[in-house]
Amino acid sequence: MLGKLTLEAIPLHQPIPLIAGAVVVAIVLGVIAWIVLAGHLPYLWREWITSVDHKRVGVMYCLLALVMLIRGFSDAILMRSQHAFAYRAAGYLPPEHYDQIFSAHGVIMIFFGAMPFMIGLMNFAVPLQLGVRDVAFPTLNSVSFWLTASGALLVNASLVVGEFARTGWWPAPPLSEMTYSPGVGVDYYLWAIQISGVGTLMTGINFVTTILKMRAPGMSYLRMPMFCWTALAASLLIVAAFPILTATLAMLSLDRYLGFHFFTDSHGGNSMMFMNLFWAWGHPEVYILALPAYGVFSEVISTFSGKPLFAYRSMVLATMSICLLSFTVWLHHFFTMGPGGDVNGVFAITSMIIAVPTGVKIFDWLFTMYGGRVRLTSAMLWSLGFMVTFVVGGATGVLLAIPPADFVLHNSMFLVAHFHNVMVSAVLFAAFAGYTYWFPKAFGFRLDEWWGKAAFWFGITGFVIVFGAFYWLGLLGMTRRMQHYDVADWRPWILVSAFGIVVMIAGVACTIIQLVVSIRRREELRDVTGDPWDGRSLEWATASPPPVFNFAALPEVHGEEAYWAIKSRAREQLRLREEPDYAPIEMPLNSATGFICAFFATLIGFAMIWYIWWLAAAGLVGAFLTFVVFAWRDTVEYEIPASEVAKVNRANRTTRLEALQGIGQRRAA
Amino acid sequence: MSHADQAGAHELDRHQTDLAPGEEYGEEDIGKGIRGYLIGLALAVLLTLCSFAIVHTKVVWAPAVPVAILIFAIAQMGVHLVFFLHITTGPDNTNNVMALAFGVLFVVLVVGGSVWIMSNMNANMMPAMPHAAMPNSATPHQPMTQPMQH
Repeated sequence: MLGKLTLEAIPLHQPIPLIAGAVVVAIVLGVIAWIVLAGHLPYLWREWITSVDHKRVGVMYCLLALVMLIRGFSDAILMRSQHAFAYRAAGYLPPEHYDQIFSAHGVIMIFFGAMPFMIGLMNFAVPLQLGVRDVAFPTLNSVSFWLTASGALLVNASLVVGEFARTGWWPAPPLSEMTYSPGVGVDYYLWAIQISGVGTLMTGINFVTTILKMRAPGMSYLRMPMFCWTALAASLLIVAAFPILTATLAMLSLDRYLGFHFFTDSHGGNSMMFMNLFWAWGHPEVYILALPAYGVFSEVISTFSGKPLFAYRSMVLATMSICLLSFTVWLHHFFTMGPGGDVNGVFAITSMIIAVPTGVKIFDWLFTMYGGRVRLTSAMLWSLGFMVTFVVGGATGVLLAIPPADFVLHNSMFLVAHFHNVMVSAVLFAAFAGYTYWFPKAFGFRLDEWWGKAAFWFGITGFVIVFGAFYWLGLLGMTRRMQHYDVADWRPWILVSAFGIVVMIAGVACTIIQLVVSIRRREELRDVTGDPWDGRSLEWATASPPPVFNFAALPEVHGEEAYWAIKSRAREQLRLREEPDYAPIEMPLNSATGFICAFFATLIGFAMIWYIWWLAAAGLVGAFLTFVVFAWRDTVEYEIPASEVAKVNRANRTTRLEALQGIGQRRAA
Repeated sequence: MSHADQAGAHELDRHQTDLAPGEEYGEEDIGKGIRGYLIGLALAVLLTLCSFAIVHTKVVWAPAVPVAILIFAIAQMGVHLVFFLHITTGPDNTNNVMALAFGVLFVVLVVGGSVWIMSNMNANMMPAMPHAAMPNSATPHQPMTQPMQH
């Protein structure tokens, strides 16, 4: 009846996961109880859960990412503290638990921290920057988000029910095969990633379509803001790369569930093929995360330097070169696995070449700041911090791209330091820069700058200390994924990295305090005009938060930096654009399809993990019925009357006119 | 209107006339459409028959048969793209052609790269199989080591 699921699955004999799980469950139940008792449920259902508005979906993606980043960070704290205790001792985490922690840390940070954050920012900003009303497929967008949330839920469920994979964040066979991993850990991994992977693939399709087919009148490709270009490149990579991951994990599932031999190393299976296919997805994945991050930095640096992006076209070219080259370097993840010198040589050269367009970008950002009036806001600080630390990560990357060096350094803490150096400084810093930059657009008030800067300084200091120590530990010969160690030389550096994580905890605390303080001070921090940073692209041309239809009339674009041109003209003539002719606007109706689909997907995933076949079948039928009901719907859109559009737009015009008159008075005085 | 503006307006027009694969012009006459499909079907059948024919007859030199079948297969793909998916070189098809080129490029990179990498690793790493005919192989008989990589 319940397959493999018994009471044994709940880790009653392991105090740490049990207590952690109990606390999380208590918090989640408490939040749900509060929502229901305070009567917020109808609002939440109507305005958020069933919303197909790209802005709402984007905010939910970022919220999911923030929560999961904290979850992944708590794994990091466990690992650092384990190492602090585990010198010539066993530490406080048993090996089988420690293995689950480093696996969960990687999976959560990549799939449920970094990915949702970048996709959330894309969801929020891209349609606004393109000057359109929504993405190409709004309901599909909501389905994508809820499937990602479903994957995150499964990973977290493994904390309380059963166990997580002990294989590392890529489940390398034959270790991940049934012979060596008979538990449910790898199955949790497989189903969580497969379900959220479907969501990611649909996001990729959605954004390629949106960017190629839905732009404001006059917005040609070479007039798109840089973030849209990077979102396009990342979406193309998602469409090309995620099917490889899905197929590879499906083959591993067939091995585990039906006794196939794709990767078993026996009966003709070949585990090397798993590595090859996994990294054929895995390296493009790095750029799926990094490219939107570069886009965020481009927007932030240009805005806060008060200058157009330097050499915009070279930046476009660099972005698209990276998009192509990212598919030619995957072998550098397994130089030491046995390919010959010729294969290693070719992939070493492509790996070094891909650093060139990235270098071009760094120079473009530097020259964007050169001669500009740089405002050191916290979003700008994150960008500057990125440029300084990322260059180091890039340099160690080029070093690791040299096969002889890689033979010495592979699987060492040096490697761990390298990929954290690039992923944290590019993706995480971009996430916080983008969060600070677009927060006022999303909620109508800015984040508190003082706490934002404190978060930056603690964050970057802790980050440099932790991973600086890791580089050194790698050179001292420490390998990754050790549960305990007895080398005296490593001891001081491990304590240094433990100190670094304490500094990072302070940074995380500042980020949380920043949010609380900002919400309490929201009236002081209010953004009345919709253009708090003196922005240059179209998202700043509408109110903060934008109305559901984004723009009362689609803006006409006559060049790069569409909004800057509009604003400059308004400032010269001291009057706003002509008021548009208001027409009724049709917007897509809310839909519970995404939430219900994800509910059934979670059932399918959970049932497959625990071999509860009837539940999996029921989930499949439910998901299909949801699709059928959606496909047969009669009304798709609702109409917002012209008078309502006019009312919303005039309110924003009034505050903008006041700001403009303020400029006029200052100029006269 | 500046030159750039005209370019922008042109860009917009092109988008509105952009066709998805399989989408037909509304006004096209049905007889012409059916004729296109029939020609496609005839060519596809012909190519299939040719593939079977060269295997069962001695028209083609035996070692060249796989190459010939490969060529027929590629021609088959071309027929499908042109007659069934209506990929053309017209301006309304730029996005489709780009998407096709993008797909072909990445498939070639991943499949070609994988074949090259795996054959290389098999030569270097696989313990000699009992049936493997590698008379000059210097590969030592060693158990396969657990791979290490990033």
